[in-house]
Amino acid sequence: MSLLTVSGLTKRYSRGGKTLTAADDVSFHVEPGETLALAGPSGSGKSTIARLVLRLIEPDGGRIEFEGGDFLALGGSALRARRARLQMVFQDPLAAFNPRATVARVLDDPLRIHGIASRAERPRRIAALLERVGLAADLAPRAIHEISGGQRQRVAIARAIATKPSLIVLDEAVSALDVSVRGQILDLLLDLQREQRIAYLFISHDLGVVRAIAHRVILLDAGRIAESGDARAVIDTPRSAIGKALVAAAPRLNRNRP
Amino acid sequence: MSRLHRFLRTPEAVAGTILLAMLFAMALSASLLFPGDPQAIAGPALLPPFQNWSLPLGTDRLGRDVLAELFHGARTSLAVGLAAAAAALVVGAVVGTLAGFAGGLVDEVLMRITDAFQTVPGFLLALAFVSVVGPSLGVVVVAIALGTWTGPARIARAEVLSIRERDYVAGARVIGMHPLAIAFREVLPNALPPVLALSSVIVAAAILTEAALSFLGLGDPNRVTWGGMIAEGRTVLRTAPFLSIVPGIALVLTVLGVYLAGEGIVETTAVRRGLS
Repeated sequence: MSLLTVSGLTKRYSRGGKTLTAADDVSFHVEPGETLALAGPSGSGKSTIARLVLRLIEPDGGRIEFEGGDFLALGGSALRARRARLQMVFQDPLAAFNPRATVARVLDDPLRIHGIASRAERPRRIAALLERVGLAADLAPRAIHEISGGQRQRVAIARAIATKPSLIVLDEAVSALDVSVRGQILDLLLDLQREQRIAYLFISHDLGVVRAIAHRVILLDAGRIAESGDARAVIDTPRSAIGKALVAAAPRLNRNRP
Repeated sequence: MSRLHRFLRTPEAVAGTILLAMLFAMALSASLLFPGDPQAIAGPALLPPFQNWSLPLGTDRLGRDVLAELFHGARTSLAVGLAAAAAALVVGAVVGTLAGFAGGLVDEVLMRITDAFQTVPGFLLALAFVSVVGPSLGVVVVAIALGTWTGPARIARAEVLSIRERDYVAGARVIGMHPLAIAFREVLPNALPPVLALSSVIVAAAILTEAALSFLGLGDPNRVTWGGMIAEGRTVLRTAPFLSIVPGIALVLTVLGVYLAGEGIVETTAVRRGLS
């Protein structure tokens, strides 16, 4: 059985009399331990779909099944408890944290909320999480705004894995990082996936990264699925118009070809 | 302490701090320098200032020591001003945060209540409340807060409306934080700075409202207040104007001090924000 099954997901926004369909009858599934990429140009609805899957916004139609249960039927404390299994890493690692927070507080919150560790045990768990993502444990008392962007994104990943999730939504999680840091973060994500069998829903506009990390890819255009399939096959020989346009717009991929 | 240093570099802040320090010194030393009841008769009635050095500011119509009354009045003004402003800020921040964060019906209901309070002039509200409940220090504080919490509520709501769309609020939802915890732990502390910038204006207004209530005889009758002293002196304004002028000057300097210090704080935080 699939870990996440999305069927017929639809979300419309109406602004000034015009209706914008951000997600139009989108269906896909994610298997345990797999990386599914959602790629597409700006405004194609990738981030909307990510936020719908996380129930940060509510869909106008469709179903979301997560770990065998109807995810859209959950509410209140049942939904909050379920969120432990479905985490997210944001694009801008500075905006994703309370500007007043320290590293320790950011990691303490999920452990406390989901009752994962007792108050006495938490500092040790926080240190272990920091070490797992390749950071020094003495970073814990530092303020979020005092550490570098790459370190922040590692803290964001540490927060996401704190509750032992089965699926992490990565919304352009490496797009804001410089190239050398990006590679290290991708390696960390692959390590964690191998180790804990976490599935990723990887939202990106960068087909080079998608080709390197994803098993399967879905190309979106104006809220609709334009093309989907094995990541390498789709990116190497795109069949849809938007797929061809995206590949043509990625200079690195063109140059690699003889 | 570089922030304090920057604060003390602005001239408004220095002037305001000196005035406030004097006011606090007066309030704190009142019972040391003038033990006993400041409303007790201390000498001949209507003694002008600077005549008798044991009563430097003279005496009022009943022969009470004006300087002692001034010191004890500082206490009342300060206590009422700070308490009323604190109450208004807390209530306003909580109401504004709940309205802005919850949205929908909760927002509508809370903001219509805010509108209702805002359409009635604050002083009239305070006057009506004290007249009905009866004058005592606590009632005066509540009465003043009733008319002043709406400003902080509106500002907090506006700030919360922009903060609730930020990623870190979404992040807090993703880790399963309770909505109330998000509102009060993640959103409210970040919405506070502009609300606190309003506090000096509110403290100053509260001190003036307290004086006005006392002037109308609606202050706590068991306490000396500057407003009460001015009212007392009003009947002999032609023959002994100092009885109204002295507490009047104290009131002006206090409000000025609060306002200048507040201005200095706003200036300092603005500089800090501009740099970061």
